Amino acid sequence: MTVVEHEHAVHAPPASPPTGWRKLLAPGWLRAPWMTALFFGIGVALVLGIRAIAGWDPLWYWPVILTVAFLTTAPIGFLAGIGAFDYWTRYAIGRPTRPEDHSGHGAFSWRDYFRVNTDHKVIGVQYVVTTIFFFLAGGLLAMLVRAELARPGTQFVDPQTYNGLFSVHASLMIFLFVIPAFAGLANFVVPLMLGAPDMAFPRLNALSYWLLPIAGVMMLSSFLIPGGAFAAGWTGYAPLSVVGSDGNIFFQMGVQWAGASSIMTALNFLVTIITMRAPGMTFWRMPLLVWANFTTSLLVVIATPFVAGSQFFALFDRVLGTDFFGPDSGGYVLGYQHIFWFYSHPAVYIMMLPGFGIVSEVISVMARKPIFGYRLMALSLMAILFLGFSVWAHHMFVSGMASWLRVPMMITTLLIAVPTGIKVFSWLATLWEGKLHFTTPMLFALGFVSMFVIGGLSGIYLGAVPIDIHTSDTYFVVAHIHYVLLGGSLFTIFAGIYYWFPKMTGRMYDERLGKLHFWCTFIGFNATFFPMHVIGVQGMPRRVADYAPEFADWNFFISIASFGLGASFMVFIYNMIVSWTRGPRAPGNPWRALTLEWQVTSPPPIFNFDEIPQVVGNPYEYGVPGARHAVLNGDRTPVDERVAAH
Amino acid sequence: MLVAIGVVVSAITTAIALLVDWLPEQASEQRAGIDFVFWLTTAICIAIFAIVAAVTIYSVWKFRVRPDDDSDGLPIHGHTGIEIAWTAVPTVLVIIIGVASGIVLARNDRTSADALRVRVTAQQFAWTFQYPNGVSSGTLRLPLDRDVVLELSARDVIHSFWVPQFGQKQDAVPGEVTKLAITPTKVGEYPVICTELCGLGHSLMRTQAVVMEAAKYDAWVRQAGEKASEGAGS
Repeated sequence: MTVVEHEHAVHAPPASPPTGWRKLLAPGWLRAPWMTALFFGIGVALVLGIRAIAGWDPLWYWPVILTVAFLTTAPIGFLAGIGAFDYWTRYAIGRPTRPEDHSGHGAFSWRDYFRVNTDHKVIGVQYVVTTIFFFLAGGLLAMLVRAELARPGTQFVDPQTYNGLFSVHASLMIFLFVIPAFAGLANFVVPLMLGAPDMAFPRLNALSYWLLPIAGVMMLSSFLIPGGAFAAGWTGYAPLSVVGSDGNIFFQMGVQWAGASSIMTALNFLVTIITMRAPGMTFWRMPLLVWANFTTSLLVVIATPFVAGSQFFALFDRVLGTDFFGPDSGGYVLGYQHIFWFYSHPAVYIMMLPGFGIVSEVISVMARKPIFGYRLMALSLMAILFLGFSVWAHHMFVSGMASWLRVPMMITTLLIAVPTGIKVFSWLATLWEGKLHFTTPMLFALGFVSMFVIGGLSGIYLGAVPIDIHTSDTYFVVAHIHYVLLGGSLFTIFAGIYYWFPKMTGRMYDERLGKLHFWCTFIGFNATFFPMHVIGVQGMPRRVADYAPEFADWNFFISIASFGLGASFMVFIYNMIVSWTRGPRAPGNPWRALTLEWQVTSPPPIFNFDEIPQVVGNPYEYGVPGARHAVLNGDRTPVDERVAAH
Repeated sequence: MLVAIGVVVSAITTAIALLVDWLPEQASEQRAGIDFVFWLTTAICIAIFAIVAAVTIYSVWKFRVRPDDDSDGLPIHGHTGIEIAWTAVPTVLVIIIGVASGIVLARNDRTSADALRVRVTAQQFAWTFQYPNGVSSGTLRLPLDRDVVLELSARDVIHSFWVPQFGQKQDAVPGEVTKLAITPTKVGEYPVICTELCGLGHSLMRTQAVVMEAAKYDAWVRQAGEKASEGAGS
């Protein structure tokens, strides 16, 4: 590693804490409110000014004010106020920057988690905690959906609210929980696994995180505006999303903020993985979690701009009257779906591959065996990456698109079962002749494998065009996506949280509560979602507030089961809070794992490694006499030198 | 032992497949093809699920150790033969499903030249069915055993036409005409359901599809036609 000369010769001394009214100017929660208000005002002035000069009527046009002032400039003001742009602003206006000032790095009290922090470990925790908050919010919305569906007819909510509930539920779960929860876990773990002191771009990393709560608050707050929340589903199909309530703008803009966060993080991961591996860490020595995040980041970088585009076009159709997707003036209605699914199918793998990585780590360690077929595991990730971009139109078999497109899309869809199958079989083979320890992460990993198999098999039904024609937009699809995303992604996220909890917090979680949580979730999950296969095939469409009386019994059962499933997460929350505050101290390597993150203290030192680790072998050599993944021989490199090296 | 678990699991899943009332009543030629693919896929899936579940259950039971057992497992890194097998076998299986689906799809898309053509107009939140003689109706009436082609369009947003007993489903898209072939094979009344979220009244956007004997259908369409022209004349 070479020492990079800093381009800015002017170094200012570390800032001393401000006093008096100057506190209002320091980055943080005092500056954020007034800057949010200021930027909101700038947004309003901009809109009114331009409309006044152009002479447009009405001067106060609500959709434009919402888009520009509420959903664009005010959040930028918040980010500026909280301090996400401070370093770059100083640099841009030629004021002295402080590259050697690490006051923005690391957490020494709980307050440090509530400010712009450049430490990937702090950002990882910020991500995970924030996403769990939105998971609970999205889960509550699902409970309300199930309360309404417990009986046929309308009981608690009107149709607008109902459509808003499931739309916001899905959007929060996808954009504010599954995708960023994986980004959070990887944020914490990937640099440690690579033997790096941080991510490649720590300030960009901090900015990526702070975009996230903005997107979440945006989606949730759409319930508060007149006309109600966005209610066209998380898919937001045009023209419904264009003619529906102004709440749709909150979805269309929320996706931009969440998407930008995703793209920045993915770029950061790519550069980190390519350039910051410890000496000896070749690609074929990387843990599968790193491989998984490498492929996921490629997916994010290539696919996410498409969803951003689709939402911008739909937004312009409403606010600017562009008619990209309106049929009357040359717009292309199905174009929305093609662009949307060109992102949103790869997004399914964005929500799956990091989980594959987590499960590979957990199963190998808890079975005390090398991962079976390591290279084929990595290559099947790449196969899923390539095939994943060639299947999008299987969401559109009944949409009226060019009919010849259906058979090729079916073939690629069915073929993607092959690399996915390879992964499942390899996990099972890893169990064979192992020494299985059924800790909570292992239970969630095995629960994931078995539930994901069911989700994968129902995916084959949906891939076969004739069956899809019968079952698309029914509860069979709802069952399928929940087996894949809840039994799949959510279980892997829990496996990851429990597995790395000791490393993140320095404390052990309560194993008995963890197991209780697993069994409640596992049983509640199956009781809730398995019957949905049946009612779907029998003829119950999805996204309905009311249904035929013949489905009443099943729906009542499903609702009761779903409340049990919802309650099971309280066990998790209780366990996390109590263990984080009062749990027993965790040793550096409680699982006796070989990967690098376990070779340092729990929690790790501020720059991760007191010496640069030398990687000498594969990461999963359990049971191989004398095998080592990395050598840390106790040489200490002073922190300052290593910081300069990066 | 492993085999025994596999047999038990396949017996249980087969029972779930056969005893639960999965598919609704079959009332069209196209549904027959769909059902064939459904059961073919189910047979393959039961086999795969049984293997996976058997290996999982057996491993969990056989290879578990006490928490204080610090020993490691057998360092097996892979096995090229097995890896080729579990790549090749699923590939063949999904290709079988793909070919069967392709054949059924081609048949279900087929429309004959003398088919009855019904124009279906979807709007928030109602269906209108228009017959060749100009009759328009809020209920879809179809003659038994005759090829029908629905020509769907939408006035406002996207809707989707589905009759579970016919199996066939097709979106109605504003600005486009989409087609759907149905050959009813059973007299009866079936629900017409909108399956594409179309707004506040989406769950209420339902009507009936009535399959009638050919003679009864002819009588109905003639009478309705006369009534319509009288209405227009007066």
